[in-house]
Amino acid sequence: MAVTDRDPAPVATERRGTARLGQVLSAGLPLVSFAFILGLWSLVGLSGAVPEAIFPAPWSVWSATVEMWGNGTLQTDLAKSLGRAGVGFSIGTSLGVLLGLLTGRVALVRTLLNPFLNILRPIPAIALVPVAIVWFGIGEGSKYFVVSYTVFLTVWFNTHHGMQYVPETYLRASRSLGASRLREFLTVVIPAAAPHIFAGIRLGVALAFLSLVAAELSGASSGIGFRLQEARQYVRTDRMFSLLIILGVLGALADMVVHRIGRKLVHWEQGS
Amino acid sequence: MTQTPKGRVEIDDLVIRFKGRQGSVTVLERTRHVLEPGTFTALIGPSGCGKSTLMNAIAGFVEPAEGAVRLDGRLIDGPSPEVGVIFQQYALFPWFTARDNVRYGLKQFGLPRREEIDRARAALAEVGLEAHSDKYPQQLSGGMKQRVAIARTFAVEPKVLLMDEPFGALDAQTRLVMHDLLLGIWRKHKTTVLFVTHDVDEALLLADHVQVMSQAPGRLVRHYPLTQPRPRALGRSGPEFLQMREDILGLLHPDTIHTDTSI
Repeated sequence: MAVTDRDPAPVATERRGTARLGQVLSAGLPLVSFAFILGLWSLVGLSGAVPEAIFPAPWSVWSATVEMWGNGTLQTDLAKSLGRAGVGFSIGTSLGVLLGLLTGRVALVRTLLNPFLNILRPIPAIALVPVAIVWFGIGEGSKYFVVSYTVFLTVWFNTHHGMQYVPETYLRASRSLGASRLREFLTVVIPAAAPHIFAGIRLGVALAFLSLVAAELSGASSGIGFRLQEARQYVRTDRMFSLLIILGVLGALADMVVHRIGRKLVHWEQGS
Repeated sequence: MTQTPKGRVEIDDLVIRFKGRQGSVTVLERTRHVLEPGTFTALIGPSGCGKSTLMNAIAGFVEPAEGAVRLDGRLIDGPSPEVGVIFQQYALFPWFTARDNVRYGLKQFGLPRREEIDRARAALAEVGLEAHSDKYPQQLSGGMKQRVAIARTFAVEPKVLLMDEPFGALDAQTRLVMHDLLLGIWRKHKTTVLFVTHDVDEALLLADHVQVMSQAPGRLVRHYPLTQPRPRALGRSGPEFLQMREDILGLLHPDTIHTDTSI
């Protein structure tokens, strides 16, 4: 075998070296910045410059967390909220991907649905809450509706647009290799659009939390959003801070999980 | 069984126009030509002259404004596995391994899984990449990618092979290796080849026929038949070979005088 092609391997090794340094930095630096913020926050608390009721110190927030955990409300609120976000996200993502594949590929469906969906898209989740309560009451139904609706539109939009970026040469190659349209759709078009679909799903995760809290702030009797609203009535800023931090951490974790799964599935995309 | 020659491409008064903002633009002027079965034709011309467009019409990717292209008497009205295409940018599917890229084309035959894998392996072995079947395209060098693409296309046994500047993105060394490889496989499969290039030397080293195209709107302006035995080399293949090279360069760049005959 007369191979004189240059082997791409050495480049890869070099990259691995700098990647290791990058890993150390990316694991260590966030810790440093967290410690710095926490220190600054503690100093403000110690100085007593701002009243606790306005801006509680870290230890007050911590003891509020322990208190909510102790009486069990935190666990039930978390379970409720995560359940709602999970169900809404799953429904919204499934419908969004499915419909995005259709509008992206089938001209008739696109012509029929796109104008309609484009009008729905700018309507913010919070504006839907009153309607959702009228339709589904203050139970789980209205939360599922608001979350899945918001996630659906974002995932649909990204999927639909991802389908437009399928390179023409892939389709040409596929057809001159004698592939059927169905196989082309399943094994060329969908993988080619997958990076965009995952970008949409990732946005969907963030929006699931956003719309969930919007739905829980009014017309709910449990969940993180409800508990935030309740804490306002008792002016429990320490509880509010605790709940906000929990929301932030949960959102970041969910995003990380989806990002990891996406990278595994779309393994051929580099630098994402 | 007497084998009737297969892979005869008739380009029959073909005209191609593209619709632009200011009406339609003629990209290919009326062209009439025949690619005889099993021949290797190089199509050369200045960039933007419509040589890729002519190729795309034979591939069934673009629709003629007038005239038609026929393969063994049958009208070409869309892409088909009888006309294989090798693209400059490889067009390998990055989510498939080298083997699965080759298997993609084989699926249409509905073979048993075992046989499909065996045929994919044989096709990769033919281009010397058997050991790399499990690699993904992004783990392969440019030359290796193009070899996977060649294996993928030949595996479905097309009657005609169209190549659009297939080695344009490769370095000179790799390109020479690819020339040998391509000629070897071509001799074995006896496919009719149309090879689009802007490199005169590449055309002269490979083809039986060199067709030169004019500036846009393109048309075939000159035909050079080549009978020199392969492997050819610019220095060894005789003075008429070098004269041909000068002529073609003159046609392609009428305004410049060529004094440099080195590569």
